[in-house]
Amino acid sequence: MSTETKPKAELYKRVDRIQSLVRDQFAFLRQDRLAFAGVLVVGAFVFTGVFGPLLAPHDPIEYTVRDQAGSILRLSGPTGAAVLGTTAYGKDVLSQFLAGARPTLIVGLFGGLGTGAIGFLVGLVSGYYGGWVDEVLMRLTDLTFSLPFMPMALLLLTFVTPNIWLMTAIIAGFLWKMPARVVRSEVLSVRERTFVKSARASGASDFRTMFYHVGPNVLPIGFLYTAYGVAWAIAAQASLAFLGFGDPTMTSWGRMLRQVFESGNMRIAWWWVFPPAIGIAAVTTSVFLIGRAYEEVINPEIQTDQ
Amino acid sequence: MTQFQRFLAKRLAISVLLTLVAVSVIFVVLRLLPGSPFEALVTSGNLNQQQINEIRSMYGLNQPLWQQYVSYMGSILTFEFGYSILRSQPVWSVLEPRLVNTLILLVPALVTTAVLSSSLGMYVGWNRGSFLEKFSIISTTFLRSTPVFITGIFFIIVFAYNLELVPAFGMRSVTASPEGYAETFLSVDFAYHYVLPFTVAVLYYSGDFLLLARNGVVEKRGSEFLKLHRAKGLSEMQQLARAGRNSMLPILTYFALRLGMIFQGLILLEVVFGWPGIGRELVLAIQQQDYPLVQAAVFIMALAVIIANLAADVLYAYFDPTVSTNGSGSA
Repeated sequence: MSTETKPKAELYKRVDRIQSLVRDQFAFLRQDRLAFAGVLVVGAFVFTGVFGPLLAPHDPIEYTVRDQAGSILRLSGPTGAAVLGTTAYGKDVLSQFLAGARPTLIVGLFGGLGTGAIGFLVGLVSGYYGGWVDEVLMRLTDLTFSLPFMPMALLLLTFVTPNIWLMTAIIAGFLWKMPARVVRSEVLSVRERTFVKSARASGASDFRTMFYHVGPNVLPIGFLYTAYGVAWAIAAQASLAFLGFGDPTMTSWGRMLRQVFESGNMRIAWWWVFPPAIGIAAVTTSVFLIGRAYEEVINPEIQTDQ
Repeated sequence: MTQFQRFLAKRLAISVLLTLVAVSVIFVVLRLLPGSPFEALVTSGNLNQQQINEIRSMYGLNQPLWQQYVSYMGSILTFEFGYSILRSQPVWSVLEPRLVNTLILLVPALVTTAVLSSSLGMYVGWNRGSFLEKFSIISTTFLRSTPVFITGIFFIIVFAYNLELVPAFGMRSVTASPEGYAETFLSVDFAYHYVLPFTVAVLYYSGDFLLLARNGVVEKRGSEFLKLHRAKGLSEMQQLARAGRNSMLPILTYFALRLGMIFQGLILLEVVFGWPGIGRELVLAIQQQDYPLVQAAVFIMALAVIIANLAADVLYAYFDPTVSTNGSGSA
């Protein structure tokens, strides 16, 4: 680490490294057509999540679509005035769809990152130290396994007004157990390798060995489960919103589905059902397809000759 | 004591401890968070203060918290769930039929999918790179990553609304008033209502079994014992049968875990299809803040998972000689 002596050259080198890393990943994903399609879908989703509310032709909640005579256009199929039709309350479906991507993206992204980060740390510490630390942390994961996620999340959300950050925290607080177990079992095998032992023997502290020597070797599986965490978080958020425990101030895809289900218009208003339903299904499936392409590479046990 | 017995004793002790902690967490969440189950009744103006006090003392809510905790632990661990606040019925007589409805939907679904998807998974794992492999992986990836209520909505729109083959909602027709379980579940009307949620549940569970079985067979394919079998002149199918048998263990334990989680019901599936199961009942109870019902339901769910976890661990330790039964059973 000689960043102090030649900061600029080091910086360029890092930028180069990141660039080539991104290029490599892209080339890798191009090989797997399914994963590449997944990347395109996720890209479109992130774009909608960031810019969707700006692109929406109307306000998703305030604006009411009216016909020429000025009466509210309820449950109208796709027309010129509302490209994707209107809801039972005369709201524009396209605007709701575009605006609804944002909470879905926020909860998915941060819920997934939180899940990955907590799970990675718990798994790393638990596997590296072993002994009673391992015992305590693993019993804690057992506990989160035994407390059913959906009922507990619903309970917590009844006592406080749900907002998306709270939902993110609850989701990450329950899902970290998945990566924790997998990362731990990887750490158990890595820590027995020679380079880890030699690092310890040459006087590296536990902290340093754990993060500089063991950590990077289990990072791929951590990233993989972070990606899965994103998909789980999106599914969980949509499910909670569908049950009526979502953020009441924001339009999300799950909430759109709840409204169409509650209002009993699922039979006729396909234009109201399909955009959010297909949106959620496409995003979660894509994330899993990308993750699976990496899993085939990361998991050494399924890498036999094709 | 043999090593296996010691392992068993340790796992049992851990499970008992976990149950106690889980039950305590449920207590804490229910009692320490703000809001009282009677607030709704009070604000609706139907009760005066004296009546509220009477009800509170009937449910023991006027005692200090630690006393409530002790009596709560005592009763819930002996399966005395008390009375539902809103239904004025013993909690168990509300929950039991709901639990039966859930199990009758999900246990057959789980068994069906475990057999079918695992067999398919083994087959496509053996024929790696085939069209069938790609197709089955994409479709099960879609089915297991999409929230189950969305799959349910798609199926309702296609099969109930457009093709009008089956009803979209409920477990029996509104006019049906059957007595007893046999009459409820053995009828054409029930079968009509059963098909759609059953199919969606089978498809939803299929992904994990298929991938587990496929990866298991793919792992085994290059291994020495199969070379021996090939050298002996066994046919492809006979070799696959032996590779498959050797990758049964993860599937078996996964099945045990899933079986435990079935007691939670598939909340969203039950809501979408209006299936009167335990998950849907729990959502209703939470919305109405019916504490006794909620704590009993969550307790049953947690207990089922803990027992299933124990069963899975023991299965693994018993069948897999490479899992060490001393210490933490890690591998």
